[in-house]
Amino acid sequence: MSAPPLSLYVHVPWCVRKCPYCDFNSHPLGPQGLPEARYLQALLEDLAEEAGEASGRALVSVFFGGGTPSLLAPATVARVLEAAGRDPGLAPGAEVTLEANPGTVDAGRLRELRAAGVDRLSLGAQSFDERLLRRIGRIHSAREAAAAVEAARSAGFENVGLDLMYGLPGQTVAGALADVQAALALEPEHLSHYQLTVEAGTAFHRHPPPLPDEEVVAEMESACRARLAEGGLARYEVSAFARPGRQCRHNLNYWTFGDYLALGPGAHGKLTRGAGGRVLRRARHARPGDYLSAGPGGRWAEVRELAAQDLVLEFFLNVLRLTEGVPQALFAERTGLPPETATGALAEARTRGLMTAEPGRLRATEAGLRFLNDLCALFLPAGAGPHPVVPREQTA
Amino acid sequence: MDHIRNFSIIAHIDHGKSTLADRLIETCGGLSQREMAEQVLDSMDLERERGITIKAQSVTLSYKARDGRVYELNIIDTPGHVDFSYEVSRSLAACEGALLVVDAAQGVEAQSVANCYTAIEQGLEVVPVLNKIDLPSAEPARVIQEIEEIIGIEAQNALRVSAKTGEGVPDLLEALLVRIPPPAGNPDGPLKALIVDSWFDNYLGVVSLIRVVDGRVTAGQRVRVMATGFSGEVGKLGIFTPKPRDRTVLETGEVGFLVAGIKDIHGAPVGDTITDDRRPAQTPLPGFKAVKPQVFAGLFPVDSADYEPFREALGKLRLNDSALQYEPENSQALGFGFRCGFLGLLHMDIVQERLEREYDLDLITSAPTVVYEVVTTGGETLRVENPADLPAANRMAEIREPIVQANMLMPPEHLGNVINLCIEKRGVQRSLQYLGRQVSLVYELPLSEVVLDFFDRLKSLSRGYASLDYHFVRFQAADLVKLDILVNGERVDALSIIVHRDQAYARGRDLCERMQEIIPRQMYEVAIQAAIGSHIVARQSVKALRKNVTAKCYGGDVTRKRKLLEKQKAGKRRMKQFGKIEIPQEAFLAVLQVGKKT
Repeated sequence: MSAPPLSLYVHVPWCVRKCPYCDFNSHPLGPQGLPEARYLQALLEDLAEEAGEASGRALVSVFFGGGTPSLLAPATVARVLEAAGRDPGLAPGAEVTLEANPGTVDAGRLRELRAAGVDRLSLGAQSFDERLLRRIGRIHSAREAAAAVEAARSAGFENVGLDLMYGLPGQTVAGALADVQAALALEPEHLSHYQLTVEAGTAFHRHPPPLPDEEVVAEMESACRARLAEGGLARYEVSAFARPGRQCRHNLNYWTFGDYLALGPGAHGKLTRGAGGRVLRRARHARPGDYLSAGPGGRWAEVRELAAQDLVLEFFLNVLRLTEGVPQALFAERTGLPPETATGALAEARTRGLMTAEPGRLRATEAGLRFLNDLCALFLPAGAGPHPVVPREQTA
Repeated sequence: MDHIRNFSIIAHIDHGKSTLADRLIETCGGLSQREMAEQVLDSMDLERERGITIKAQSVTLSYKARDGRVYELNIIDTPGHVDFSYEVSRSLAACEGALLVVDAAQGVEAQSVANCYTAIEQGLEVVPVLNKIDLPSAEPARVIQEIEEIIGIEAQNALRVSAKTGEGVPDLLEALLVRIPPPAGNPDGPLKALIVDSWFDNYLGVVSLIRVVDGRVTAGQRVRVMATGFSGEVGKLGIFTPKPRDRTVLETGEVGFLVAGIKDIHGAPVGDTITDDRRPAQTPLPGFKAVKPQVFAGLFPVDSADYEPFREALGKLRLNDSALQYEPENSQALGFGFRCGFLGLLHMDIVQERLEREYDLDLITSAPTVVYEVVTTGGETLRVENPADLPAANRMAEIREPIVQANMLMPPEHLGNVINLCIEKRGVQRSLQYLGRQVSLVYELPLSEVVLDFFDRLKSLSRGYASLDYHFVRFQAADLVKLDILVNGERVDALSIIVHRDQAYARGRDLCERMQEIIPRQMYEVAIQAAIGSHIVARQSVKALRKNVTAKCYGGDVTRKRKLLEKQKAGKRRMKQFGKIEIPQEAFLAVLQVGKKT
């Protein structure tokens, strides 16, 4: 088992304000603004620590996610990239993405980011309908999103992705198609098109908005996908579309069960350690306060080694999101487990028509992609769930 | 022996039996105030939660009477629900007397009448006790009259107590010494001890609650179980006070527990006789008459790997619940399981819950049914315990269903409602009598209707005042048909029911609607049909889900996604895969809820 490709994820947990649908680790900025100096210092300390885990691997991608990473001063981004470039180093042609809120960028800032080494911009447009943008609490207008794409082009970004949501409050099929059309007009290399889901702990969960019904959403989905395909954006993951060769390499590394280092509050990492192929899942303290006040080496909230059965589940949880799936051989390569480990679940998945029977490939069928949760559940370890089976003798 | 009194307490649910037992224990100092958990005799969790007594329990109390002598009182607890009348006769077999506890405000209920007759038939001295006399609504004089008119025993000297406040309890203790006779038996004869109850302890093996009828049993003695032939040395002997307390000997007339190193769960069945291995008794004690289960259902492990543990668990349960019967069953829909016979629906519920709680099993129960008699065209008479086994219509000359006599007691204002219910349930009136301030109503009803929802409906339309006791009288021919449920065109054997032809269409429609509500939307559309033979009488469908996928996955963090999957899986614990379709447990029980839409 050779060590998988290595990426770097940097989490920026602040936003101008929290969107009512968002359940990510993001926090509205206080009146003092970003504690940028302390944050940068912590990132650099984390990075120095993480570089030791690279085992000679250079980074194939770096991703500044959030939150709103575009709130950072470009100089901060530059410092992190410089440090990462020294150790563990960036692989030739490494992809460096930064997520940006269209309301927080201007041409000057974008040029500085580009100069700092960011070569891919992921813009959270979400919709091009002004009324809907307000309804979902966005701080930017449709015009600003379009302007941000233009600014990015003029700043030298050749790789721009847009995030778009559908199934928004009161949205119609025509409305969702209009959003897709507006996005296509900006000629992005990549588009994430995901359905609004109401998650626990969000403002929308406490005060649910009137969402379009399931049939309407299904129609939106198929109409939008057809339009995206016509526009040259091919679907390669449940919610991701790209022009040829422009799939997000950082996300692909997640979906092909690669490794990633984690910097910043609430960042999650995955690491394959040693020849024995132990796989560690690690998570940083999520609350910015906890994270910043902990010293170097003390910012981990959780480090645990995955058991064989967890490896199986997590591998399939990721690779089956890809429309093309992955080569069969990747299973043994990434998990270090014998290829026959998941035979039972695979047979069941194929019997139920959720996975294709292509030899040498692990791939969900069209039905499998639509019912991905049911498909993945087949790979859950037996007895998983809140009621572990304990022999009577031990409980007496 | 004349210092021993063995007695049971007969009472309707809620009439305060357990509270009275607690008060007796407390008065005799069996437990300190601090140790008194509420209602100590109901020891199974399930009994506590449901507030009812299922299994017999015993307690030995030491009572210093006003005459200065110390008496040994053995209270053998009895269950109060109609399903468990069999258990009552078992407990009574260990006693010389019974306290008939009647709520002084509510009056006599049908269950107490039935149990009281059982006690009288078994030759017990019945001592009437009016409980809850502290209530402002108590009417002791009226209730005494009711006991005399409805049950027909002398009740002028009924004792008046409040188990809640303790009022009258000391006088009750004195009175029972006088009224209940001490045990008779031959202390010098060979040992004969009746097994009143047996249960399986993981460390000790079989533990038996025994009543010594003749002779004595001592620790270390070699004993034999007469019917099964199992023998062993008495390793542990004692009484419940209610805490278990070791004894070296149990004398004639005493009640206590015995462990004789029997590890086989069938080694010491309830009703059997324990005797001395070297000087055995010539004949065993009469034991108990075997009860016939009234209601049958298939029980199937959700996970087929649980089949063997399930078989073992049933064996252990059966040890102290001889009313539970089971034999292997193979269902096309539910796989390998057991066809189980129960005394009634509550019994079924309790068995399932005990299996799940005490043995960590996940079970699916098929639609419960009564036993039918079928006369084939060849003149053969078959007993059908499973609708799936019903011969084809053209092979049946006659189907007969079990008829019960239902004895009901209620205040007159509910009579009209109850009669309407009985008519709806195809009942035939046998008698109607005004007794005191209650009406006694006797109907003959098909057992299948009683099993369905009769008891619940009776209770709700009489605002809880009507009470019921019933017993089997005969099999009787009726125009019955088998109603099948088809899921996506395939018959689900575990959902078939036998119904009266006049009700078949309505039941079919109702069942399909109910299934449609219960079966969750899934990957495929689910078509539900009800059919008599090849004739479809009703249909419904459950629309397919469009998708079940998490749109956005925060790539780095799989823990949340994983939790979601685990939650979904836990929610499916009680689902049974049927072809491509998943059917939840509730669907198999939907037949019971007909006409009771919520």
